[in-house]
Amino acid sequence: MSFELVFQQALNGLSFGALLFILASGLSLVFGMMDVVNLAHGAFYMLGAYVALSVVQLTGSFWIAIVLAPLALGLLGLAIEPVLLRRLRGRHLDQVLLTIGLSLVIVDVIGQLWGREVRSLAAPPGLDGSVTLIGGVYPVYRLFVIAFGAALAIVMSVVYRRTKIGRLIRAGVEDAQMLGALGVDTNRLFASTFATGAALAGLAGVIAAPVFGVQPGMDTDPGLLYSLVVVVVGGLGTLSGAVAGSLLIGPADTFGKVLFQDVALAVIFAIVALVLLLKPTGLLGRIRIAR
Amino acid sequence: MTRLVRWTIVAVAAAALVTFPYWSAAWESSRFATTLLRDALILAIFALSLDLLVGRAGMPSLGHAAFFGAGAYAAGIAGQRLATDQLPVTLGAAALVAAVLAFVIGILVVRSEGIFFLMLTLALAQIVFAIAFQWTAVTGGSNGLAGVGRPMLGALDLSSPDLTYVLVAVTFVLAALVVWGLARSPFGRALIGVRENERRMRALGYDTARLRLSAFVLAGTMAGIAGALSAYSTRFVSAQDAGLGNSVRAFVTVLVGGAGTLGGPIAGSAVVSLIERVVPSLLPPELRLSEAILGVVFIAFVLFARQGMVGLGRYAWLRVRSR
Amino acid sequence: MGGFAKNELAAKRGYTYRLTRRQLLVASSAAALAACAPAAVTPGASPSASPGKAFKLGQLLPFTGVYAELGNSMRRATELYLNQHDRKLANRPVTLVYADDANVTATGVQATQKFIDQDQVDVMMGVVPTPLAYGIRNAVHAAKLIFIDTNAGGNALTRDTTNCTPSCKSPYIFRASFSSYQISYPIGDYLSAKGTKEFFLAYANYGFGTESAADFTTGLKKNGGSTTGNVAPPLGNPDFAPFVTQIKNQPTKNVYSFFSGADAIGFIKSWNSLGLPAAGYKMYGAGFLTEQDVLKEVKELANGAITSLFWAVELDNPENKKFVADFQKQYPLLPDVFTVQLEGEVAALDEALKTLGGDTSDKDRFVKALEDVSFKSPRGDFTFDKATHNPIQDIYIREVKTQNGQTVNTISDKIAKVTDPGK
Repeated sequence: MSFELVFQQALNGLSFGALLFILASGLSLVFGMMDVVNLAHGAFYMLGAYVALSVVQLTGSFWIAIVLAPLALGLLGLAIEPVLLRRLRGRHLDQVLLTIGLSLVIVDVIGQLWGREVRSLAAPPGLDGSVTLIGGVYPVYRLFVIAFGAALAIVMSVVYRRTKIGRLIRAGVEDAQMLGALGVDTNRLFASTFATGAALAGLAGVIAAPVFGVQPGMDTDPGLLYSLVVVVVGGLGTLSGAVAGSLLIGPADTFGKVLFQDVALAVIFAIVALVLLLKPTGLLGRIRIAR
Repeated sequence: MTRLVRWTIVAVAAAALVTFPYWSAAWESSRFATTLLRDALILAIFALSLDLLVGRAGMPSLGHAAFFGAGAYAAGIAGQRLATDQLPVTLGAAALVAAVLAFVIGILVVRSEGIFFLMLTLALAQIVFAIAFQWTAVTGGSNGLAGVGRPMLGALDLSSPDLTYVLVAVTFVLAALVVWGLARSPFGRALIGVRENERRMRALGYDTARLRLSAFVLAGTMAGIAGALSAYSTRFVSAQDAGLGNSVRAFVTVLVGGAGTLGGPIAGSAVVSLIERVVPSLLPPELRLSEAILGVVFIAFVLFARQGMVGLGRYAWLRVRSR
Repeated sequence: MGGFAKNELAAKRGYTYRLTRRQLLVASSAAALAACAPAAVTPGASPSASPGKAFKLGQLLPFTGVYAELGNSMRRATELYLNQHDRKLANRPVTLVYADDANVTATGVQATQKFIDQDQVDVMMGVVPTPLAYGIRNAVHAAKLIFIDTNAGGNALTRDTTNCTPSCKSPYIFRASFSSYQISYPIGDYLSAKGTKEFFLAYANYGFGTESAADFTTGLKKNGGSTTGNVAPPLGNPDFAPFVTQIKNQPTKNVYSFFSGADAIGFIKSWNSLGLPAAGYKMYGAGFLTEQDVLKEVKELANGAITSLFWAVELDNPENKKFVADFQKQYPLLPDVFTVQLEGEVAALDEALKTLGGDTSDKDRFVKALEDVSFKSPRGDFTFDKATHNPIQDIYIREVKTQNGQTVNTISDKIAKVTDPGK
């Protein structure tokens, strides 16, 4: 492999990792805060992409879609948490099971409303060109994705560490019961967290659409599968875990698929298995005390 | 009710189940209900095996189809490569291969818990699926394994729809008996102990890792047998038999029916089979919503009938009795 | 009542210590219900063979899952044809039974069994994925059910193979679509004969992709051509950039690709955004790479791609012009290759039934009538190869062009009457 090739593949891996981070961030947030593995996360991601399709069709603007799709998903999340999840507060496994049912419903409804054809979303004008880098021409959009992912990570980190809401979230992660006892409205906190997780999934749906496409089956592959892989490998529930996971999985998947073509299907799972066997709680995960 | 009466009812029900094709021929002239019931029973065996892990041992596995698929492929490949259709050979191969695979995977996963166990079983099963999908020379690859031989017992050809059904039904009854016996055995109770409080079990001197591994291998072997039965029934093995969709299906079956019970996986497979096979023919073709319906049913169960159908049944029975 | 209390406690904890009567009743009633339900829901039908009686046509298509749009496409074609013919084939009114395989092989196999056992259809049509076609081949053959394949292109379905692996032909199985050989070998032969001899391969790493790549290579070799390497992304791969980057970093500029649907869209978009056209790389492929479903999304990005298929929307013959016009009148859509495949199938069945006068009581006569059909269809002259039951059809060399604001496949050449070798 020449240097140019390695450089270009590294960019591919990095941009893929950035997309994975945007995709996985919402899942990580919801798990960290509420101890719920939202298995409807892929369905939310898919819904975000389809909503973006409609928004772009109606308004012609990708940027409006970047705002509206997460908003729509956030509202959906705000509706789901109190109506369905709150009843199961404390029953973590049951909440997970409920999200499985949710994803089945959402995906089928998407098929009914938007049809089951393969669709796509073009990168917005301005970001749809290519620039010359080492090794040749490289799409601007993928560089944008790297920048966006980094910015999102920084924003989330700042919110988490420097703001009041961040402090509340960190406290909730440590001990939600105590937080409630201290007089914080945990209902509102959990609802907003779930809504934010859904919104982030919707955002991922929009941003990833020009690369991953919009089609039936996207809720599992790449949606849920890659989110789970990133979050579990990186370390559940922490922002740094999601970052670490995507920075590992992105390049590893990219290089692995190209170097080990015949087992490309298995590459990512081999990575997951390897990491979990060596460090069972994920790279940056901490052992959580069972509640 | 005395034990004798109870056992007589069970024996009669089992006999009725096994001979279903014969006494149903009167009102069911096509073989459709037989094949439907046959497939539901195969799912029931698969679900029973998963329930050993999910319900009794507290090990939520999302990779159980790996063993189902391994058993199916082993039965087919053994028959073709060893040029024999004898049931003891092919079924034995299926059980052996599934058991070995379960042992290998089991050693790797047995020390994980909760979500990590779930992800690890999922990842390892996906590797098995990838091998099945890509290894065309052995498994037929993405095109699947065609020409699975007919199950023969000596000179008796079991490939007719009725006899295949009998084979499946007899295996189901045996599997149910095994699971029932297991639940009452010291091993079964120890498993429940591991599920409820592993630390204490270890403090009591139990080798919890060995217990979980044994449960894992047993469950895997049983799933492999279910896979072999599926291969005999359709005479074909598809890579999807080892895929995530099949694992999820079994998981849903166990939960809807009622995890940790004997009747649960059985009732669950009836419900899931119903929703998958019968409901689509009730809906107009424009409305393909069977997945959404399954989802709604699932949500309803989780919210209102957490113990599954068996729990519902129990609850209804209690209400009736207390009147 | 100790037993009762113990089970009460057990019930609360979600497990039981022994099988109770209640559980047995619940479980067996559920099982019995499941067994009774299908009989209650769909009344059994007796086979009809005489003219004037209803003709039962079973169609196994994907209406959910990743191939759902193909199933919908094919259903539209069926409905259009039947509406134009008064819901009859020859003199027999048609009863349609649809089943959804959801792209799950086990589901499709079960649905086939239902067609055979319960619905007792006269003819079965459909099947999109090749593994499913292979999976039902034996059941259909054993039941002597005439099955006309609407899509699945696996070569083996209409060939003699050793040990019938992965599958083999049957007198009762016909194919109205294509064999993957037909859309891969001829273009390899054609291009290498014209002087383009060296190719790099890019294909989806599953049965269809590997078969197409292999047949194309055989076509190349016939005229001394060769391949210099390959990339083979997994089916359903989300990110094509790594693979296209590999293509960009090797010297062979001519690339033969096999992708379809979402994979084709992802591949073509990556191909463009990584600058391959400007760097002199040329895209060739089997027809599905640039079919309608792909072109409507990638549009001019596919310009210049050269592919081979047995049809194109632009095909200039009276039957196709009429077909496209009629289709657009009934649906606000252009027909695609999948509708054409199904249209050919139903038309062939119609022709056969007309020859028989609607009498399908003699299975061998029915098979012979199908073998003998010959008519003009949107793709040109349509006949079945009597030896293999695969269609004998013209293969067109097409080039993607954007004209009048629409991106379409234009016909640049034709290879007439391509048959499948059958072995």
